[in-house]
Amino acid sequence: MMRVIFCGVGALGSQAAMSCRNLGVELVFVDFDRVESKNILGQAFVKQSIGKNKADALKLQLANFYGSKAEAFGVRLTAANVDTLLANADLIVDAFDNAASRAILSTFARAKNKALVHAAISADGTFGLVRWDERFVPDAEDHAGQATCEGGEHLPMIAMVSSTLARAVQDYVKDGQKNDSMISLSGVLRQ
Amino acid sequence: MAVLNITYGGLSADYPLDLDYALSDMDVRRIAVEVVRAGGVRGITAPTLGENAFDNFVVDRVGGNRIYLRPKVPFG
Repeated sequence: MMRVIFCGVGALGSQAAMSCRNLGVELVFVDFDRVESKNILGQAFVKQSIGKNKADALKLQLANFYGSKAEAFGVRLTAANVDTLLANADLIVDAFDNAASRAILSTFARAKNKALVHAAISADGTFGLVRWDERFVPDAEDHAGQATCEGGEHLPMIAMVSSTLARAVQDYVKDGQKNDSMISLSGVLRQ
Repeated sequence: MAVLNITYGGLSADYPLDLDYALSDMDVRRIAVEVVRAGGVRGITAPTLGENAFDNFVVDRVGGNRIYLRPKVPFG
């Protein structure tokens, strides 16, 4: 069974992971962060998960609501532990919220010849990308501490980008396709 | 030659005239301001667009024939 590891299960990662629950793969979540009340506005978490580690909470929600199994690692992924966490990955899904962590994944995937797909969204929630690592360059914030698209007003766009990411995972799991997409309010453009 | 695609304000459209694929990123941003202001990109209307509107946008070059001007996507 293919092992798909989601790195970062915030807005895009949590929503995409929920949409991947029927793929017949081993789902694994890596995230050090905890669910805050504001997160339930735009992320897949429910009120009962507030205060829990995000990776653990998503694993529990999948088990309780859908009977789906997953693994969870409630740790911060770093250059020091990336080999351990991702060694057995067949597909790595990057939904981190910062360029430094994305770069760690790219370095690892290129060194180990692992499949890696990235998903990313703009701060104003009007645009998103799903792009395979072969063609991906991480974007930095405009300035440190830039406001993110955590508010509920961006949930429709988060859903579009995360659904596109889930479809990219599905296409790869099914037959190894690596499709890039750009997502705007106009629709999804497969490149 | 290349087609320029501009994403602005959540909308995305192609500029119908071909551009030189080797244009600098700065030139791509400058041209984009002009064509959007002039209403040359179908669906994107911003006649009072500021000179620096695209300064923080990313220029992606794909496949030797398409240039995408898009917002940064730092978040996940």
